[in-house]
Amino acid sequence: MAKTILVVDDSASLRQVVGMALKGAGYDVVEGCDGKDALTKLDGRKLHLIISDVNMPNMDGISFVKAVKQLPNYKFTPIIMLTTESQESKKLEGQAAGAKAWVVKPFKPEQMLSAVSKLCLP
Amino acid sequence: MNLDLALDTYVAESRELLEQMEEALLAFAKGDCDADRVNAVFRAAHTIKGSAGLFGLDAIVEFTHGVESVLDRVRDGLVIMDPVLANLLLECSDCMRQLVDAAGAGDTGAVVEEAPALRQRLSVYLGEARETSCAGARAQPPARVAGSAGDWHISLRFGRDVLRNGMDPVSFLRYLATVGDIVSIATLADALPSVEEMDPESCYLGFEIQLCTAADKQTIEDVFEFVRDDCQIRILPPSSKAADYVDLITALPEADTRLGEILVSSGALTQAELEAALASQSDCDQLADVPGAQEATATNRRLGEILVSQEVVREPVVQAALDKQKQGREAKGQEARFIRLDAEKLDRLINQVGELVIAGAGIGLAAKRVGATEMLEAASTLESLVESVRDSALQLRMVPIGATFNRFQRVVHDVAQELGKDIGLVINGAETELDKTMVDRIGDPLMHLVRNAMDHGIEQTDVRIAAGKSAKGMLSLNAFHESGSIVIEVSDDGGGLRRDRILAKAVERGLVAPDADLPDREVFDLIFEPGFSTAAKVSNLSGRGVGMDVVKRSVGDLRGTVEVDSVEGRGTTIRIRLPLTLAIIDGFLVAVGKSVFVVPLDIVEECLELTPEARAETSGRDFLNLRGQALPFIELNQLFDIAGPRSPRENILVVRSAGRRVGLVVDQLIGEAQTVIKPLGAWFQTVKGIGGSTIMSDGRVALILDVPGLLEHVHRPASRREVLKSAA
Repeated sequence: MAKTILVVDDSASLRQVVGMALKGAGYDVVEGCDGKDALTKLDGRKLHLIISDVNMPNMDGISFVKAVKQLPNYKFTPIIMLTTESQESKKLEGQAAGAKAWVVKPFKPEQMLSAVSKLCLP
Repeated sequence: MNLDLALDTYVAESRELLEQMEEALLAFAKGDCDADRVNAVFRAAHTIKGSAGLFGLDAIVEFTHGVESVLDRVRDGLVIMDPVLANLLLECSDCMRQLVDAAGAGDTGAVVEEAPALRQRLSVYLGEARETSCAGARAQPPARVAGSAGDWHISLRFGRDVLRNGMDPVSFLRYLATVGDIVSIATLADALPSVEEMDPESCYLGFEIQLCTAADKQTIEDVFEFVRDDCQIRILPPSSKAADYVDLITALPEADTRLGEILVSSGALTQAELEAALASQSDCDQLADVPGAQEATATNRRLGEILVSQEVVREPVVQAALDKQKQGREAKGQEARFIRLDAEKLDRLINQVGELVIAGAGIGLAAKRVGATEMLEAASTLESLVESVRDSALQLRMVPIGATFNRFQRVVHDVAQELGKDIGLVINGAETELDKTMVDRIGDPLMHLVRNAMDHGIEQTDVRIAAGKSAKGMLSLNAFHESGSIVIEVSDDGGGLRRDRILAKAVERGLVAPDADLPDREVFDLIFEPGFSTAAKVSNLSGRGVGMDVVKRSVGDLRGTVEVDSVEGRGTTIRIRLPLTLAIIDGFLVAVGKSVFVVPLDIVEECLELTPEARAETSGRDFLNLRGQALPFIELNQLFDIAGPRSPRENILVVRSAGRRVGLVVDQLIGEAQTVIKPLGAWFQTVKGIGGSTIMSDGRVALILDVPGLLEHVHRPASRREVLKSAA
């Protein structure tokens, strides 16, 4: 059974492109448009990886990661944060919250795939 | 992956975000500014940029990066959002809209005219230090050792929190297997506590891995990028790699670099390993600073020692890097010893020194005329000083010919490939110095000679083997000093010149009488005749019959000569002889009637008196008997049509040029003098036999004889005469 990845970003086009790349590589993809929306997807289903943006309306990425770490079913799920090169402090904040992997925006789909496959091969 | 559909989404999304951005910015322009709105605007820019990267829309990424950076500073309270900034950002959002629209229409390379100006205006709001360029992150990685596969040893100790951080150690090992072949893997469970003490959420494992891969160290380290902070990782390259690193370090450009930088740029050390080693070094330093911690000082070690003792880098590699560092520092020291200057300034100096030489000689002459001892002494001191100033000044213009020679390595390589021949190049005397002007102007003739030698001189491999020669042809470029001139030789070990064929061609073209018995040298010299070619077929490179005469002319312009030596079946050597300098020569002054001529001293062999008996012996022909050998001679008074009574005592100056000896009949031998060459005016450039003029110490002008030109002028009518005679 294919591994499932949750992609959380407020940009629909980013979700679409990342989703296409991940599906192309053999993953199943679930999407969330911000932190709050993404939490509703953590409904007990098996997730192998979460990819989350930092800057989002409603609930930002850092708060979302902190919330995920409180959920017994998902606290061991690896999380990739999407940061920008100018947000070194956000990256450290995310790491402190428990998201140890990151990809720097703007990225190419293949960069995202290589980071994903380090944490879970399809 | 088809991005078209997603691109439509992107364009729609970006337009929407731009509208939101515009709305907020209009509010700012009215002075209505709150944190939520600032965040929203920032997020809009951030999203537009982030997604643009996915589609490779670099123009949008680059422009929006500036906008995002300014907004980030507004968020951090470093910049205040005032109406001026709001209006500027509104203009920026218009620009972004144009870029997005262009991308939507399929024009990803669109250029918006206002963009550079806007970026300029935005930069005012960015502190210099904050301007992190997008492009910076994409800097080219330096050349690294890669290629040959070998067994790497990876020693891995996972941190306790790895599992809690959501990382699965096994997934990294799986990913490692995509980088190379895991030859062996040993799991270390020695850190595992007793069951009662064990925390199931902690990771206690370590691994020792043999990995066979051609990837470089950075690639391997990147596998563990996300766990590096929690883990101890040591990556030891295969021992065979050590030699590769040493080679690469040796080949790095020389610069004053730090040890760590050298190792990182060769790939022997990764940036993370360097930082770790530097951190442990500074720990030691801090310990040493604590008063009383005397023993700690002993641990204050050098970076190289730390790296070797931690087994991060092997010792020979560190040694090579240290050597390189030393070399770089020395090179920097060397560089500081040189001054670059405009060649024109140097030329001016040489000119002035030339004038000084003339003026100095004038003083010497005046002193002699006055006869005052003191003045004579002062004049002679002055003369010797001027002479040494002259030599130093001329020395300034001298550069080694090595750089010119080395260019031919590539030429030989390329031309050999083009011709399908195997040809090597040997360079001797690269350190030989000659005048800069000559170095610049000798390149083209040399190029011609080299190509000629490769095309016509060196035979095809099968022909060479059949002739019992090595399959690889050798071309050599030599330079050396010989009796006041510089000799440059282009030699090949090819088939040599075909004497019979040259002669036949020359007879066919009427250059030589059919029954003429010419020495080898004169036959070979025929190849310098304009349009002379014996090549059976014309190739791209040579054989068109243009060239050798041009070579001769170019060398002649430098007051040099060209000679050919060739042995059929063994090879050819073309020898170019150049004067040491173009500006000042040692000359020999002779007088004919009232005119004075200068002959370059280096070609003068001897001076003889032309006794009336010897003249009688010539019985009207233009050669005489010099110790049993025929010496052709030229009477300068006839040649230059100098009227006046003949001197009762005539002299002969024996000169040698291009391997020929010739006598010049003159009235009076005056003696040696330093001669500053003044070029002739344009009208006289074409006069054969005169190479220039000079001003003598008494202020009179003397003409400098161009002996090779003179010989050509005198010889050609003679040989034509012979041809005509034989034809009749």
